[in-house]
This record gives sequence, C-alpha cells and structure tokens, in this order.
Amino acid sequence: MAATEELIRVAVEAGTPLLLATLGEIYAERSGVLNLGVEGMMLMGAATGFMVTFVTHNPLLGVVAAAVVGVLLSLVHAFVSITLRANQVVSGLALTMIGLGLSSLIARKFVGLPLPVRIPTIPIPGLSQIPIIGPGFFNHDPLVYFSYACVAILWYVLYKTKMGAAIRAVGENPAAADAMGVNVFLVRYLCVALGGGLAGIAGAYLSLVYAPMWIENMTAGRGWIAIALVVFALWDPLRAMIGAYLFGGLEAAQFTLQARGIDPSLLGMLPYIATIIVLLIGVKETLRKRIGAPAALCKPYYREERTL
Amino acid sequence: MDSRAVGTTGVLVIAIIVVAIVAGVVGYFAAPPKIVEKEVPATPKTVEEAKQIVAPLGLTVMPKLKAAWIYVGPIGDYGWSHAHNMGRLYVDKKFDWLDTMYAESVSKANCKQYIENFIQQGCKLIFTTSFDHMYPTAEAADEHPDVIFFHCSGYIRKPNMGTYFAEFYQLYYLNGLMAGALTKTGKIGYVAAQPIPEVIRHINAFALGVKEVNPNATVHVRWLFAWYDPTKAREAAEALINEGCDVLAFTEDTPTVVSVCQEKYEEGKPVYVFAHYSPMLKYGPDVCVSGQLVHWEKIYEDIIIKVALGVYNTTNLENVDYWWMLKEGAVELGCDYGVPINPKLVPVLQQIKVKDKLTGQEMSVYDLVMLRLKQMSEEAPTFDPFTGPIYDQDGNLRVHPGERLGHDALWTMNWFVDNVVGTIPAGGGE
Repeated sequence: MAATEELIRVAVEAGTPLLLATLGEIYAERSGVLNLGVEGMMLMGAATGFMVTFVTHNPLLGVVAAAVVGVLLSLVHAFVSITLRANQVVSGLALTMIGLGLSSLIARKFVGLPLPVRIPTIPIPGLSQIPIIGPGFFNHDPLVYFSYACVAILWYVLYKTKMGAAIRAVGENPAAADAMGVNVFLVRYLCVALGGGLAGIAGAYLSLVYAPMWIENMTAGRGWIAIALVVFALWDPLRAMIGAYLFGGLEAAQFTLQARGIDPSLLGMLPYIATIIVLLIGVKETLRKRIGAPAALCKPYYREERTL
Repeated sequence: MDSRAVGTTGVLVIAIIVVAIVAGVVGYFAAPPKIVEKEVPATPKTVEEAKQIVAPLGLTVMPKLKAAWIYVGPIGDYGWSHAHNMGRLYVDKKFDWLDTMYAESVSKANCKQYIENFIQQGCKLIFTTSFDHMYPTAEAADEHPDVIFFHCSGYIRKPNMGTYFAEFYQLYYLNGLMAGALTKTGKIGYVAAQPIPEVIRHINAFALGVKEVNPNATVHVRWLFAWYDPTKAREAAEALINEGCDVLAFTEDTPTVVSVCQEKYEEGKPVYVFAHYSPMLKYGPDVCVSGQLVHWEKIYEDIIIKVALGVYNTTNLENVDYWWMLKEGAVELGCDYGVPINPKLVPVLQQIKVKDKLTGQEMSVYDLVMLRLKQMSEEAPTFDPFTGPIYDQDGNLRVHPGERLGHDALWTMNWFVDNVVGTIPAGGGE
C-alpha cells in the first residue's frame, strides 16, 4: 500500500514539470504555432526562478519572474514566426539554444548554491486522507496544485468556451477563423505567450522544488519530452496529465528498474517512440482529424491571401 | 510586380536576417568560455617564503613560471573542477613568481586546442584535470618536448608528462565503518555516477568498512550514468530510501543526496548520509555524518616547487606518479574542513560498540574510526582496507589472507566485494 502511494507521489513530482510545459505547448500548437523552444524557456525559467528566489527569499516572486521570462522569450518566437512569418522550426530551435547559453551565462555564480528557502509541502485537508491516492496526489507543494488547476481550466476553456473554439479554429483554418472575425494574430500571440509562461514555471519547479538547485542544462531534455507529450496527448490537456505522470513516473522509476536489470537508456526513448507511433497514425487525414492535430500547425498566416 | 511575390521575398529576407542574428547570438553564447587570466593578485609576504625555499639551493630569486590548468567542468560546479580550481588559487596566491591561467568546461575534443593556446602564451607547465584529457595531453607532450605536462587521473606518462591523483578509498572505508554501525535496516544505499574503476574502488572500500562492523548489512548500488545531474541523483536517492535503505553514500558532483536525506529527517524519517568531495554539512546539518574532502593544493604545491627548482624537468617524469592519500594530507575525512565527524552524531557513534577485527578489543565505532584514521595516516600505514581475505560477489577469493592490493589492482578494479548488491554495467570497469 505504502509502495503504491509512494509510486504515485514520485510520478506526480517527476511529472509536474513535464505537465506544465506540455499544457503550454498544447495551447501554442492548438493555435497553429509550433514552439520548439520549450527546453530553452524552461532553462531560463529555472535559472531566473532560482536567482530571484535566492536573492529575495521569496519563492512566489521567483515563480512569477520565471513565468515572465518564459513569456518574454516566447514573444520573441511569436514575433519571428507570427508577425515576420519566418520558419517556426528554425526560430524555435534558436530559442532553445539561446535559452541554454543565456541561462548558463546569467546564472553562473549560482551553480550549486543551496536555496535559502523551500516551497513547503501543504497536504490538502480531507483529500490527503483518502487511502492510496490521497497521499499520492494531495500531499504536495502549491505548484503541483497549480498544475492540477491548469489542467482543469485549460481543458474547460479549450473545449467548452467560445475562446477555446476560436483557438482551435485558428489552428485548424486561420482564414476561416479570420472571416468569422477572430483576430488570428492576437490569438496566436496569446497562446504562444501562455506556453512560454507555463514553460518558465515548469523550469522554476525543477530549480525550486525538484532539485532544488541550479546547474547548467538542468532540464536535461524535459522540454523535448514535453513537445513529444503534446503529440502523445493528442493535443488534449486531460490526456497530457496521464502522459506526463506516465513518463515522469517511468523516469523516476528507472532506479528501481535498474536493480532489475532494465537499461535506463531504453526508458529514455519511450516518449519519443510513443510520439512516432502517434505521428504514424496521424498520417491518415481522417485519423488526424479524430486525434485533433491542428491542420495549420507550422503554417504562417498571410491575411492578404484571403482575398486571392 | 505581384504584391504577393513582394511579400514572400520580403519575408524571406527578413527571415534570413533574423536567423543570421539569432545564429550570431547563439554562436556567441555557445562559444567556449574565454580564457581568463589570473584573478588573485600575489601577496608580497609570500615572496619571502619562496626565497626561503630557494635559498639553500644558492638561488636568490625564484625563476618566473607560467602554468595553466585545463578543467573539464565549470569551476562553479560543486565538486571536481571547483576543487582543482581551489588548488590553483592557493598556489597562485602563495607564490608570487607563479603566473596561472585556466580554461573551464574543456571537452576532450577541445583540449588540444587549449593546450596549444596556452603554450603560445608562454606556459611551461600545463595541468590537465580530467581522464578525458589524457590522449590530447599525451599528444601535446610528444609535440612539445620543452613543456612539462601533468595529467590528473590517467596512466600515460612520458619524459615530460607526469600523473597525479588524490585518492579517497581510505576515507570511503572510514565512512563505511560509520554507515555499517548506523544502519538499522541493514540496507545501505550508494548513488554512483559512472561505472569506472575509481568509483568501483570507492564503493568496494565503503562496503569493506560496512562489512567490518556489520557483516550482515548490504550496500545497494544505483548508477546515474552522469557526474552532474541533481534531478537523477534525487530520483536515485528516493528509490533507495523507498527500498528500505536508511544510510546513503554517493559519488557524484552535487549535494542533492544530502539534501534529500535532510528532507527525510525533517519528515521524521532520519536517513544518514556521507558527503562527497566538497563540504556539504550545511546541506544536511542533522544527517550528514562525515565524508571525503580533497586538498589538491598539496599536490600542486609540491609539483610547482619541484618544477620551478628544476627537480622535475622535461626528461625525468616518466615515473612520476602522485597517488596521494591521508599521510600526504591530500585528502581529509569529514563533511566540512576540520570537522571529521558531525558533532551532532559523535555521541551516537560513541554509543555503538564494535570489535576491532585486528586486536579483538571492544570499543565504540567512533574510537575505531579514529584509530583507523591514525593507522592510515602514518608514514607507513599500518592498516589498509584492501587487505585479504576479500571475496567478490560470486564468492571468488580476490585477495588472499594477509595480502594487500597494490596500486595497479586498485587502479583497474572491475569487480564488487561480496556485500555489494548491484551490477557493473557492460563496458564498465575497463
């Protein structure tokens, strides 16, 4: 019993940074913008969150600063890919490289320092008493609860509101959305910014809660897993939760599995194998529509084309 | 002209410009860190010290010497490169006739380039501080017979290339004595970085200490396959604790394992831990028992003085191999300088009674640790952990009774002693 609780707890903790980053990327991609800069934004979030918390002794300020930095970086990508209509893949990759270099540069003096304050674990009264799932899901720090709230809100907004319908329309057929009076550029900007903010917070979770420490390149590929998880989750916030905990749990379980002779490199490939399988399924147009892949993903929108 | 064509071309041009700018920025940040000239100005009073050293040799002034250090990691890491850099700063400050330079985060591929660079700038003595740097250093030593090289942790030596290492196995053994006495579950966890002989040797020394005071306890090993990854270290530590380990030791370059144990203590579940490489007491004031600390400056000081005085030159280093331990002062027991055992845990260790396997005398584990520390610090150590009989995991007698393992056997170790639970991955230990 205790082992199951422990397994859930570890999976949630390891899965939370993946979940936050995946949720943000889902919104960006739903609006038609692929942002491969998740890893870079997470790194900048991790570095900024750590530095601000270290200096101010206020973790909340650290998390907010991480989100702001994530948003600012994502706006660079938004400007290049939405306004200038440059190649989203190139711009996103550049963002990752910039985040990698810039975070090491600005936070060099903070490497290995102990964080003076910790984000406390707050058990939710009542819920944390539920057998098995209680301690696993409801005995965490506030950022984990924040990620639960994000899942619920982002799922609701995406599928149950006019705003969500507009976002999906922009990602599916921007010209049609434009004709209906949706401001395609604004929607895309907002979605990319949301993605950046959540990626920044995901990074802050790593450097403030999970490690808690700053070292260069500490995300160690989690941004890429998040991008893979978007596909695995079929662009759905609820399924993102399952995917994040599954792959987070697998990652954390690698040391238990190691004792049973399973190579960690094998586990590291699983998210990408799952992604390729989903992409293969998505090759067929009818299936693509069913799984929810945005048709206009990676395609810049030219307003003047509407009249042609 | 078609308006659409203008748009496309315009966008393309802008895109190219943006990509060029981005590439430039990326290139700037991705470039190897600049070579930084020495930061700490020499203090005048140390000149006297230098003069005293040279006086008996009939020299009045120490000859100028320019030395360079090449580090594999950032000097801000919490372990290896940081410790080497502390050694450099020490000698740089101590000897005003010495000029030092360094380069950090130098990979195997870039190592040769940095060496050439330093030689062009007039360095006559070059330290390369990672096993990865061994072949580039050897190549450079062949090409520059007028420059002296010292390589840390390797085995290739040449007339102008020596080797050096500060070895921890005695300390790991002492940590093992304490771990074996402290465990209640009989399960001790070990978070290990990479499966190389050095780490295997340290795990074995630790396990031998555990076995001496607690023959039934086992040491459970998990590999990170990384030197520097706090998130993986946390996951490994948590996994070991969940499997029932109540004492942890580790070989990796972050204080994560200590932090995890301190958290468990605060949750009411004490898990004791031993620090690695750097003073980590502050990360685990209630749980960090002891650990291993390094003093590279002892080795650097010795090499630099001997090079400056001409004791070492470009023709006589073929057999110069520093393998310094407790008696030379290159390593120190403790989780902070001058603190061999956390004062909070001294009374606990003084209460646990064990028997000295050599004399049969009953004493506290604290006294046993101090006795062994003294024995191993002697000019000719009267105790060595790798003294037979020692059996491996398959029950083979690896060290015969009374026999002591020598440098080469320790240097190439690729087997675990019998109370270690875990495997050495393929390709490891070779």
